[in-house]
Amino acid sequence: MMQVFATTALVLIAASAAVQTVFLLIRGETRDPVSHWALLAACVLLFAVTVERSILIRFPAVTNMYESLVFFSAVICLAGFALRLFLKSAASRFILPGVTFVALALLSISSSPLVPREIQPPIPALQSLWLVLHVTLAFIGEAFFVVSVAAAVVFLAARREETRAAADRIAYSSVAAGYPIFTVGALIFGAVWAEVAWGTWWSWDPKETWSLVTWLVYTACLHTRLVKRLRGTISAVLAIVGFASTIFTFFGVNFLLSSLHGYG
Amino acid sequence: MLYRLLKSVRLGIALILVITALSLLSTLVPQGRERTYYQERYPPALYTVIMTIGFTTYFSSLLFVIPVLLFTLNLGICTVDRMVRQARKKADRRYGPDIVHVALLVLAAGGLVTALARRESDFVMAPGEEVAVTPRSTIRLRSFEYLTYSSGMPRAWISTVDVMRDGALETSAFPIRVNHPLRVDGVSVYQFTWENRSTFRFRDRTGAETTVPVGGIFEDRDSLWYFADAVVDGGVWKALLQQYRGRKLISTRTLAVAESLGGYTLLGVTQKLVTGLRVVRDPGFALVIVGVVLLGAGLALTFIQNRRESTVSP
Repeated sequence: MMQVFATTALVLIAASAAVQTVFLLIRGETRDPVSHWALLAACVLLFAVTVERSILIRFPAVTNMYESLVFFSAVICLAGFALRLFLKSAASRFILPGVTFVALALLSISSSPLVPREIQPPIPALQSLWLVLHVTLAFIGEAFFVVSVAAAVVFLAARREETRAAADRIAYSSVAAGYPIFTVGALIFGAVWAEVAWGTWWSWDPKETWSLVTWLVYTACLHTRLVKRLRGTISAVLAIVGFASTIFTFFGVNFLLSSLHGYG
Repeated sequence: MLYRLLKSVRLGIALILVITALSLLSTLVPQGRERTYYQERYPPALYTVIMTIGFTTYFSSLLFVIPVLLFTLNLGICTVDRMVRQARKKADRRYGPDIVHVALLVLAAGGLVTALARRESDFVMAPGEEVAVTPRSTIRLRSFEYLTYSSGMPRAWISTVDVMRDGALETSAFPIRVNHPLRVDGVSVYQFTWENRSTFRFRDRTGAETTVPVGGIFEDRDSLWYFADAVVDGGVWKALLQQYRGRKLISTRTLAVAESLGGYTLLGVTQKLVTGLRVVRDPGFALVIVGVVLLGAGLALTFIQNRRESTVSP
């Protein structure tokens, strides 16, 4: 059942991306009536996969890369749905396809042979509530960063001033919302978990270093804007660099660098 | 002039970028290995640069410590300056960012105390054994369990201990597991590792029985036999022995049950699971906890205030 849910979710996200692209290219100003509902349906299916795996392993299923990708994709779909539902600005029409493509890419990677899908109960180090809070909040924060990077790209690519201003505002708001959640999840709860499990808050493992780097980039992003009053291009570039760092922290460290966080 | 430079946000951002760039580079160089590791893997010029600037232990090198100290100083001055300005304001006060900045300073202080004063020690215990974890507190191991899933993967390592303080029982049967340390008398005790402790039972020439642990020795004429390990050979446990003459290794052999060597006959090999615990004393613990709580509170306040302002503003 899990495989059917995950595959159906992938199809729904792909269909949503296709509909959004078609409406963007052909129908101009008109918003499509279905793509966000497809995202919501995909989100529900992916959460169902997480719930079913959690029941099987008797622990919240966010303890390996496949489970993390499924959860992350689900949260991004939810962010895309909320973006479409609550933001009526013209810019959101351009931003949503970007968000959808990121969810599609992540879920596609989860189906690749690079990511094992075996259902395995957690080893002792992973049996912690702090780990669950660490992973889930980090991904919720990062889902906001996905919206911000899509908005940043729209800002840099758009020609109409109105679209650029709206995209800039959405990019900043997304970083401002995601930053505290990411800080608490990725850094604070991650450090607390490490202390409870191994007796050390921080061990400068490559994944920890890259998470800190991601946080520093978004810190710079917020400070250039709030303190130095720099808007527009520099904020957009920092949002893109921050997201690149987020993605490298997730994939690059696991596949290219030796890390204690090899499980997810 | 210097004060103005140190309270500049531009300096803060520049330092963030420097720390970020150097930290990223450090993840490309495996940290804390032997000198020969780098010598074998990097071209001579790069090897010289890496060793000279201390990039193999980047996070304790001046290359990291100096920018971080400067950043902490910058953050401290900016925070005080900002708080003074906030106090003068009659309206539109935003305390969230101030609390976040103070939290980061407290965390930096906690990190410094931890880096300078944290101590850890590891020990191995068998059931029934006692270890003093502080001058006043002792733990006695009641039992050690290694539980596995049906697939054979580890499910839990549980060291059940009694805690004695000043000789009196304070806590009975506390289960130390990964993610469930024992906190006692200012130290934390963690489930760290486990191992199989082997002992060998022998009968000597006189018919008396004796036991020897791994690491033990016995003399045989001009040689010394060292019990290097217990190994499984052909489905049975055997003693792995190394023969020394002086400091020179002469031979290595295994000895099965009922086999004899120099008048000693091996009667049996006993395997016992023993637990490995780690005791950590971290004087920075309280400061880090305060910093973490302040950081959470500051971020929450910033977030709530941002939300309120974005809801109120047109």
